[in-house]
Amino acid sequence: MINLVWLVPLFPLIGFLINGLGRNTLSKSVIGLTGCLAVLASFIVSLGIFIELNASNTKSFIVPLFDWISAGTVKIPFSFMVDPLSALMLLIVTGIGFLIHLYSTGYMSHDAGFGKFFSYLNLFIFFMLLLVLGSNYVIMFIGWEGVGLCSYLLIGFWYTNSSYASAAKKAFIMNRIGDLGFLIAVFLIFTTFNSVEFAVIFPQAASMLAGDRALIIITSLLFVGAIGKSAQLPLFTWLPDAMAGPTPVSALIHAATMVTAGIYMIARSNILFTLAPQTLHVIAIVGLATLLLAATIAVTQNDIKKVLAYSTVSQLGYMFLGLGVGAYTGAFFHVITHAFFKALLFLGAGSVIHAMSNEQDMRNMGGLKKKLPVTFLTMMIGTIAIAGLPPFSGFFSKDEILAHVYEHNQLFWVLGVIGAVFTSFYMFRMMFLTFNGSFRGTTAQEHHLHESPSSMTIPLIVLAVLSVIGGFIGIPEIFGGGHWLQNFLSPVFAVSAGKMPHLTLDHSTEFILMAVSVAGALGAMLFAYQKYVKKGEVPAEDRIERGTLARLSYNKYYIDEIYASLITRPLDSLSGFFHKVVDKKGIDGLVNGFGKGAIEASKSFRLLQSGMVGFYIFMMVFGIVALLVYSMYKI
Amino acid sequence: MSSLITLSILAILVLYLGLYKAKNALLPATLLGLAGALVLAVLEWNGGAQPIYSGMMLFDNFAIAFTTICIFSTMLILLISKDYFESISEHVAEYYTLILFSLAGILVMVSYHNLTMLFIGVEIMSVSLYILAGIRKDDFKSNEAALKYFLMGAFSTGFLLFGITLLYGATGTFDLTQIRDYVIANPTGISPLFYTGITLLIIGLCFKVGAAPFHFWTPDVYEGSPTLITAFMSTVVKTAGFAAFLRLFLMCFAPLHDFWMPALLVISLLTLFVGNVTALYQHSFKRMLAFSSISHVGYMLFAIVALGVNSSNSVFIYATAYSIASIVAFAVLILVKRQTGADNFDSFNGLAKKNPFIAFTLTVAMLSLAGIPLTAGFIGKFMMFSTALAEYHIWLVILAVLNAVIGIFYYLRVIVAMYFKGAERNEIQSSSYFNFVLGFSALITVVIGVYPGFISSLF
Repeated sequence: MINLVWLVPLFPLIGFLINGLGRNTLSKSVIGLTGCLAVLASFIVSLGIFIELNASNTKSFIVPLFDWISAGTVKIPFSFMVDPLSALMLLIVTGIGFLIHLYSTGYMSHDAGFGKFFSYLNLFIFFMLLLVLGSNYVIMFIGWEGVGLCSYLLIGFWYTNSSYASAAKKAFIMNRIGDLGFLIAVFLIFTTFNSVEFAVIFPQAASMLAGDRALIIITSLLFVGAIGKSAQLPLFTWLPDAMAGPTPVSALIHAATMVTAGIYMIARSNILFTLAPQTLHVIAIVGLATLLLAATIAVTQNDIKKVLAYSTVSQLGYMFLGLGVGAYTGAFFHVITHAFFKALLFLGAGSVIHAMSNEQDMRNMGGLKKKLPVTFLTMMIGTIAIAGLPPFSGFFSKDEILAHVYEHNQLFWVLGVIGAVFTSFYMFRMMFLTFNGSFRGTTAQEHHLHESPSSMTIPLIVLAVLSVIGGFIGIPEIFGGGHWLQNFLSPVFAVSAGKMPHLTLDHSTEFILMAVSVAGALGAMLFAYQKYVKKGEVPAEDRIERGTLARLSYNKYYIDEIYASLITRPLDSLSGFFHKVVDKKGIDGLVNGFGKGAIEASKSFRLLQSGMVGFYIFMMVFGIVALLVYSMYKI
Repeated sequence: MSSLITLSILAILVLYLGLYKAKNALLPATLLGLAGALVLAVLEWNGGAQPIYSGMMLFDNFAIAFTTICIFSTMLILLISKDYFESISEHVAEYYTLILFSLAGILVMVSYHNLTMLFIGVEIMSVSLYILAGIRKDDFKSNEAALKYFLMGAFSTGFLLFGITLLYGATGTFDLTQIRDYVIANPTGISPLFYTGITLLIIGLCFKVGAAPFHFWTPDVYEGSPTLITAFMSTVVKTAGFAAFLRLFLMCFAPLHDFWMPALLVISLLTLFVGNVTALYQHSFKRMLAFSSISHVGYMLFAIVALGVNSSNSVFIYATAYSIASIVAFAVLILVKRQTGADNFDSFNGLAKKNPFIAFTLTVAMLSLAGIPLTAGFIGKFMMFSTALAEYHIWLVILAVLNAVIGIFYYLRVIVAMYFKGAERNEIQSSSYFNFVLGFSALITVVIGVYPGFISSLF
């Protein structure tokens, strides 16, 4: 089965071609079926690969397809790498991808661009699989750029709305900044290791000293790439805006898969990062800052998708915090559980928006519990999971990260727990505002309220089940679990693990840590319940004056405005200067002046050709004399 | 060698055909004879040539390659001459004969191994051309062209001959090998006579190829002569002039590079600027082609300035690309002039609508002359520039590129006229000969441009 790994990306590519070419001719049912089946087929193959890999003793396979670039000493094969890390990612991407495709057949059923949507979605899956499977940084980069492209296309899917189109551009440009870092890192990797193949680089790197300059530079640049793709400070502002895309896109690309590419890439390159502790420290700080910033923004947002978007940024921050303290398994564990519950929450939000006739403001919702029972129940499960309440999945992954953080730096742990408290608060706030209380929308909306079709609820139910049990793949030993995930991934992180101190927390400390964070989350939940259910508060209208802190949070710390005045506007005026002065006057002037000069010269040169033979001979003799004088001088 | 004999006999034969009024047999007989000469030349390829006739001639690969391209271009020109000669003069046979004699002189020029043969070749070629330029006896401009050409040609021949004499005075021989041996044997004590001889030869040869400041005859003669003769002069004759130039310098004067290189460098740049800049402001397409031919001389001189192993190859490809494209340009000019009676740019307006094929072939030719990639002209320029760069003439190449940019302006002007300017005009009726020459030349231009390998590795 592992040798058939090329089938995994092939199916979505075929799906993309069929749906892309037949977007105007095929019927919606054919398009939906093609799109879903393509991803389902990939999932089945991925499952086979996973089972075979799990049973096999060898844990890393390279499947070469063809020689791709071969120029002089540069040889870059087009080959795939199957190991525990990529096998798990395959399952997540194709599994959740399939559920979201299924959901989309219902969610997008009334959209005119149905065929286009499915072709983009399949293309995204194809590129994401390339990113995951590539056995070298160059193929990973193809996938990396490809998912960025699809993200751009899907954010701007309703491109006639100009703010959606600029959200797409914003996402693309912010990603490009990161991509540049990634690209330079690949070049440096090539000059340092003379190869871009993982299998060649990592053993070489393992023999280098910790803190090697080259490694620090390479890892910093790779991290810049990860910052762009995974929406960390300072490049995170595109992700909330990316919610302009259709909700399934937010769930698939901007929550479950693409945005975790940065974490995947760092986990894949773990040995490089382990040997660059300075970079790891920076990663931890950036992750921590991002998670706190996004969490504090999320508590005042009123758009249901914006809350989830900031929550995604915040959860990604946890993952980076985990990576930064060397908890690679923990971070990847959180990638998996987060994919479950965040996809679930987004799809649930989509179901709510679908029912509310495209209303996204929670101030106009309320009391939907009765009308949308399945959505409510599944979303509640997702909320409990993300809040980190046991025994749902988020509890295990988040606490694994936090335990590592505590050991690494206790201040970080305190801040991380504060973030968790915020998480619990804004998530329950979102739930209570949406589902409790009385309905606050228009009567037309109320009349239209309905539970979503089964194509949408089935994915919700499946994801809800996964959100409940997903954590059991990594039960820590204090609960008597064997931590299956850690064992499974250990070959990938083995070298790094050997170079890092082991977790030495005693059980009582670990229990206390868990108890503190669970208590905090529960307290936040009760506070939210008190505030929004008991007192029935509704967030204020936009125009109402807010207190300083609330205003800062509500306006996202004015980060967009700061970027606009610090970067966009100076760039704009610089661009204007180059356009008007350097280009128009300088370069154009030079070129046009050159042209005019040539024409003027032509006018006078032409007169030399007078038609008089006497003059011609005179000129020739002039030349002859000059030549003879030259040769006299030269002899 | 046998192709030279074939050509000479053919010329006499054609003269007799004219005498017996066998007008219709003229073109087939000439083409057949030329094809025979072409085959005979090609058969001698890689024949391990030795100097023959007491060292007078050497029919080596260099000579064969240039013989081939000269005969080939002449055939293309003759193919479009069918009605042309008859329409401008009664003495059709003399046309063919004179062109053939001129070609015989050219063959001597590309294969000489003795300076006297160089002189004889140049003279055989030139005298025929003086007559051809003035063959429209009733046309004032044609007469003027012939007279100017003859006057200035005679003037420059004096320098050529004087140069040869000085070389003889210094070395006591006309033989190229012996002259080379003299240069090699006396690295320091070379006689001033010899140096002056080289300078005078440069003057004479620069006149023949039309390099500034000895180019003044070119525009006037090209404009006044019948268009087909202009085509012949600006392609075949120019190629032969360069072959002779290059042969002499490659064989004899290479070790004295430091002496003559700066002079030629200046001449080359001067030629480029004079040709290109003056061409900018021309209103007549024919006169523009005359000046553009001067500018191409400037590019081809690069090969001599940066004399090296690649020089022959560069000149060969450049001359091929340039000749073929120029033939197309002149052929279309003949068609347009026949229809509109004028040869300015405006008479090309709207040609693409009525004659898309002709317009397309002319476009390919113009792009090739301008040196746009995927055409033979680009490969030619590329070879020239890389030859020059190989000798570190960076500034020369920068200035040449600037000139190439100027060139694009006036080459594209005719394309703009054909495609973007509208005009009331009728479709031009062109014979199948014309269409063949146009299509075939355009095809070769593109084939060399896309796949230069089959021609660029000849030497």
